[in-house]
Amino acid sequence: MANLKAGFIGFGRMGITHFSILNTHPSVEIVAICDQSSTMLKILKKYLNLKTYPDYREMIAEEKLDFVVISTPSDSHADAIKHALEHNLHVFTEKPLALTKKDGREILDMLEGKSVVNQVGYVNRFNEVFMEVKKLIDSGLIGEVKSFCSEMYGATILRDAKENWRGKRKTGGGCLYEFASHCIDLVLYFFGRPEQVVGSVLQSIYSSQVEDAVFSTFIYQQGFSGTIIANWSDESYRKPTNIFTVFGTKGKIIADKHAYKIYLRQDEPEMGFCRGWNTRYITDFAEPVRFYVRGNEFTRQLDYFIECIENGSLATVCSFHDGFVTDVVMEDIRLDAIAESRKTETSGNTGGTRKSETARDSFWKRTFGVRRRQRDAS
Amino acid sequence: MLHNVILGDNQFFGINHMSEEKAQALAERFRDRKAITDVMETAYDCGIRAFMLNTNQRAEGICDYFREKKDRFPDMWFYASLPYAHKYASAVGEKGIFGALKDIIMTNSNAGKIIGMLTKGGLSLFEKDMLKIMQILVDIEMKIFRELNVKVIFLQNIVTDLLLGFGVKEVFVEFSEYINSKFGVEAGFVTMNMPKLVDFLLSCGIENPIVCSSINKAGYFMNPDMASYEETLKEKNFRPIAMSILASGAVKPQEAVEYVCGELGVKSVVFGASSRGHILETKELIESYACKP
Repeated sequence: MANLKAGFIGFGRMGITHFSILNTHPSVEIVAICDQSSTMLKILKKYLNLKTYPDYREMIAEEKLDFVVISTPSDSHADAIKHALEHNLHVFTEKPLALTKKDGREILDMLEGKSVVNQVGYVNRFNEVFMEVKKLIDSGLIGEVKSFCSEMYGATILRDAKENWRGKRKTGGGCLYEFASHCIDLVLYFFGRPEQVVGSVLQSIYSSQVEDAVFSTFIYQQGFSGTIIANWSDESYRKPTNIFTVFGTKGKIIADKHAYKIYLRQDEPEMGFCRGWNTRYITDFAEPVRFYVRGNEFTRQLDYFIECIENGSLATVCSFHDGFVTDVVMEDIRLDAIAESRKTETSGNTGGTRKSETARDSFWKRTFGVRRRQRDAS
Repeated sequence: MLHNVILGDNQFFGINHMSEEKAQALAERFRDRKAITDVMETAYDCGIRAFMLNTNQRAEGICDYFREKKDRFPDMWFYASLPYAHKYASAVGEKGIFGALKDIIMTNSNAGKIIGMLTKGGLSLFEKDMLKIMQILVDIEMKIFRELNVKVIFLQNIVTDLLLGFGVKEVFVEFSEYINSKFGVEAGFVTMNMPKLVDFLLSCGIENPIVCSSINKAGYFMNPDMASYEETLKEKNFRPIAMSILASGAVKPQEAVEYVCGELGVKSVVFGASSRGHILETKELIESYACKP
């Protein structure tokens, strides 16, 4: 049995989850952990009997590793990935791949000619409901896709968290990269990169330095379009929740992580569906995992990564290339939102508009083709 | 002896693994504490004596209510489960792991001595003794159950499974011993990886451990597979408690109980229900199998 030596870079919430899952993998031996918190390192050393490092460069130089798992704040992903690739290590990184297109391109360039497994933690691509929905869309069951809506809600930030990296722009915090990235990636998983990103709005709700909600519209060359709505300050959700709706000429699908509902205009006996509504629960098709922590998909994504290393194959689900496309689309949204808010400010407003009002106006304009106040007045 | 029938609490707190819609409908129905305690009273009147209760922010009101009415419910037993993971998850999201732990400990007035140690030595206590931190957190969470009958104190599954992955034996041993010495009751563990956990607990020297896990005919939440569960139940010396026996509706009640209590011989079942008819029916069904010698 292969004995793959692993090093962990970053040991926060996701690092801990990944550690628990990989520490029980029969092919993996975790040899070292690197984190900036000296308190964390001392605890790990005491209870886990592992080598600890404050700096990943030192860890990679000292230890003979096969792969690294990167779960640091988003702004440090790119440097850590590049350093690991320089040493020909397989890399699993938490999302996003990088915060700039330049960094992302450099990472992809470095991969040229290397046979290292590279994967980004867009975990929804390993959720069984979404995997099933992709199969159904690709099979043409709902006909030609015309529109979709990818929503994500959660109670992650309910007050200004400016002391944490998630609440700061320069460390890669904010709803777009830290939260909406999952519901954007889901759209890219189903349909690939959009032709155009329009009507984007980044809205702050409680945060002073970053956005808490993201709205955008994707337009595809094939003639369909859809909306993104993400809000990480919605207390009404107990857990982060994705809701994906897709409408086609022969029916529509509404899916979340636990179940999907499909409406069909005609019977599809071969696929096991009747005309009208059909509901399928995850219990109908989910397979158990080797070791469960927080959700099947977390184990499945890491086991896939290890399987690729063992088989000498390159990951094709959530590869760095996929991660780069998601980064590019997020940058498109960010730039489009800036352009949109400038448009709103110059289109008749005196400039005294509060940020949230600008965002709301833009949302109404995008949704209903009119500005909110005009609509209210009419 | 563990109770044969334990009323679970997921339905009271808007938790449904299958449907967001159902979860929201339940959250609305059980918005008031009274709606919850009414169902628990009904269950008591139907003869149910054991109640699983997670230490979330609403559990305190429920405990206050039954503490006041202890005379009316003298034989009511709680199966406490902690920690309330979501509280920690959002605090960790905002302040980081140690920031969140420090906040939770600092805002608790009963941990006076510790507050002193923390403020004097910064984060040094975390470095010195994480097990002590665990004890403080257990004390904080268990406060709400004061003066009530507690049968078992469970470590909730997210934490159990995370720690199982880490494989640090002393955490499990220490937790069991602390629960035993401080509260005079037994520790239990909720898990989504029952076979692995049972092996691990036995290897820790924890004898005849109490392990609560999903056991159902659909194989739902049974990792790595049903066969390992069946084998563990047959071969290993532990006290199983079954939950999710209906696999959120995928299995019919009669068939579910027949499999879990009849075929596999499990004697304790946690189930969720909200109406008198449903509670009574399920209770009788479980007892008809689980109470056989």
